[in-house]
Amino acid sequence: MFTEFFYTLRQVGVPVTPTSFLRLQKALSKGLINSVDDFYISSRAILIKSERYFDLFDQVFAHHFKGVELSDPTEFDLSEAAKALLDAWLKDPQAIADALGIDEDSLAHLSPEELINYFLERLKEQTEAHHGGSKWIGTGGTSPVGHSGYHPGGMRVGGMSRNKSAVKVAMDRRYRDYSLAGPLTRTHMGEALKRLRNMIPTGPKDRVNIDETIYQTMKNAGEIEIIFERSLKDKLKVILVIDNGGWSMDPYIDMVQSLFDYSRSQFKDLKTYFFHNTIYDYLWVDPPRRSKPYAVDEFVRIDPETRFIIVGDASMAPYEIMATDGSIHLEERSGRPSIERLQFLADNFRHSAWLNPKSSVEWPYTRTINIIRQIFPMFEITLDGLEKMVTHVMSKN
Amino acid sequence: MSTEEIERTFSGGTKYVLDEELAKIVNITMALEMPLLLKGEPGTGKTMLAYAIAESLRMPLIVLNVKSSMKLIDALYQYDTLTRLNDSRFGDSKRDISNIEDYIKMGKIGQAFVADERAVLLIDEIDKADTDFQDDMLDVLDQMEFDILEIDKTIKAKQRPVIVITSNAKKDLSDPFLGRCNFHHIAFPEPDMMREIVQVHFPDINQDLLETAVKGFYRLREFKEVEKKPATRELINWIRAMNADPDFRVKDIIKGDIPYLGVLFKKSPDYAIAQRAVSRYRL
Repeated sequence: MFTEFFYTLRQVGVPVTPTSFLRLQKALSKGLINSVDDFYISSRAILIKSERYFDLFDQVFAHHFKGVELSDPTEFDLSEAAKALLDAWLKDPQAIADALGIDEDSLAHLSPEELINYFLERLKEQTEAHHGGSKWIGTGGTSPVGHSGYHPGGMRVGGMSRNKSAVKVAMDRRYRDYSLAGPLTRTHMGEALKRLRNMIPTGPKDRVNIDETIYQTMKNAGEIEIIFERSLKDKLKVILVIDNGGWSMDPYIDMVQSLFDYSRSQFKDLKTYFFHNTIYDYLWVDPPRRSKPYAVDEFVRIDPETRFIIVGDASMAPYEIMATDGSIHLEERSGRPSIERLQFLADNFRHSAWLNPKSSVEWPYTRTINIIRQIFPMFEITLDGLEKMVTHVMSKN
Repeated sequence: MSTEEIERTFSGGTKYVLDEELAKIVNITMALEMPLLLKGEPGTGKTMLAYAIAESLRMPLIVLNVKSSMKLIDALYQYDTLTRLNDSRFGDSKRDISNIEDYIKMGKIGQAFVADERAVLLIDEIDKADTDFQDDMLDVLDQMEFDILEIDKTIKAKQRPVIVITSNAKKDLSDPFLGRCNFHHIAFPEPDMMREIVQVHFPDINQDLLETAVKGFYRLREFKEVEKKPATRELINWIRAMNADPDFRVKDIIKGDIPYLGVLFKKSPDYAIAQRAVSRYRL
């Protein structure tokens, strides 16, 4: 029962396991689930293991049971379709142009967002014409709860929103903020960065482990055996380099700022430097980038095991990276292109990463991002991206 | 579901306002005999839920407060070697030194297993421990038995306890762990719900005070820069403080003169931010 529902969940990327699905069947067969509302609540509790997927679950639930009382297409299948379209477009522009009925030239002028919007409008028209809202009614036959017995206005769910049916509650998308794609909050960032902590025993064995001493002494039948151990120290050093200048970073400054606030309290040894757009001969210790320069060459003296993390949108004019004396600041004339400096830093620090506040979907469209990505592994500033970044810089080799 | 269990379904405690959704989840989890994993902001009543279940179903509650240094064995049992040594040297106790079992003390999980009646086992803040602890513990809870190595004895659960696990972390626990639990995320209560919660705690509260305090509380939660937002616990204490103050008038809050900010904001930078913001806005 509900296998289709299960596979739709899997399809959209919710990690649901067969075991949990069987458990849901067990709950169904025990007669614990007597209405769509019950089904909504218990299937979520049993199948979904993180609030980050609650939003997707809500969408799929609404989608799957919409035959009950909903007719307009849900956002989820539209955005899924749009994603597929974008992929197809990248592979074969001609075919898409034909399919949408516009010529390839004018298609080429559309930005990805425009293209998707255009496509979504077309799709909405089509959905209305094709399905007529009747496509999902078929689920009624397989449902044990019996949709005929389900009164759309009668059953209610949820402590606070007592006037809504399960499908409506699901349509609410109450958990949008918790989903993976949702806005990154400070707590999220703190959590992800906490993973950077790295406690290793160091120094001489000069601390008495009392528990172990007592235990070993007992094992020795009372002969005193004192056990020493090394103390734990956080050896992890982090250098954080932030792009805090220029218009291009302005929209992201808040986000980066909170990342920065958090990271400050997170490690014992953290150094922060600032730059504008890209790195030339100097980084700056002070945020206005005026009084305390720090020569990039000096970094060779720093422990190469230091984790080197750059935060920036990596978006600028290509010459700023590629040309000698590419800096837009007249006083920064080094005679070496920025790309060499970046490469130097990447070579110097084995564990480096570039965090980009721009969504990864936009990356392919900015030339300088592509260039920098070849030097530094780049990650999005989302919960997902941060986690990947942390795994990357924490890996041993 | 046996008849006895149907009678013993959970419908809230005397000091706990339960939303229907959560009640259903608790009941289904009990019927499926699975642990229930609760996540959510601090102050949404994760821990209180276990107390409420124990109270309403009249079961004993056993609380295991997880600490970061904790090993699984501490939660299961303890072999009290020190007492045994002491007894062997001075021999003034009634315990039998040659019988190791006399020196085995049950940990919290062990206590829940050997209890004669079905108990509620609350495992609080599981995220503090490391992943191995979590996985191993779930194995024990899955099998409902563990071995005491020193005396080669297997302890089996007499009654399967109702297990509630809480976690504060925004981060997910490991997959095998999650696979064995039912999951619920408790969202922060809406103002309506909050009014009910306050009323449960202060049955004869002045309606003006209730209205203004709850409204003010949600305004105060909106300050973005604040690191630790005030939660339900803070609100309750705040109202208690205002109730206890004979000079306090509800009008003061409306005028923007908020008393006892320190009850709500406990970190000094937060307090400073709130004080500045409060003097600027009026609630």
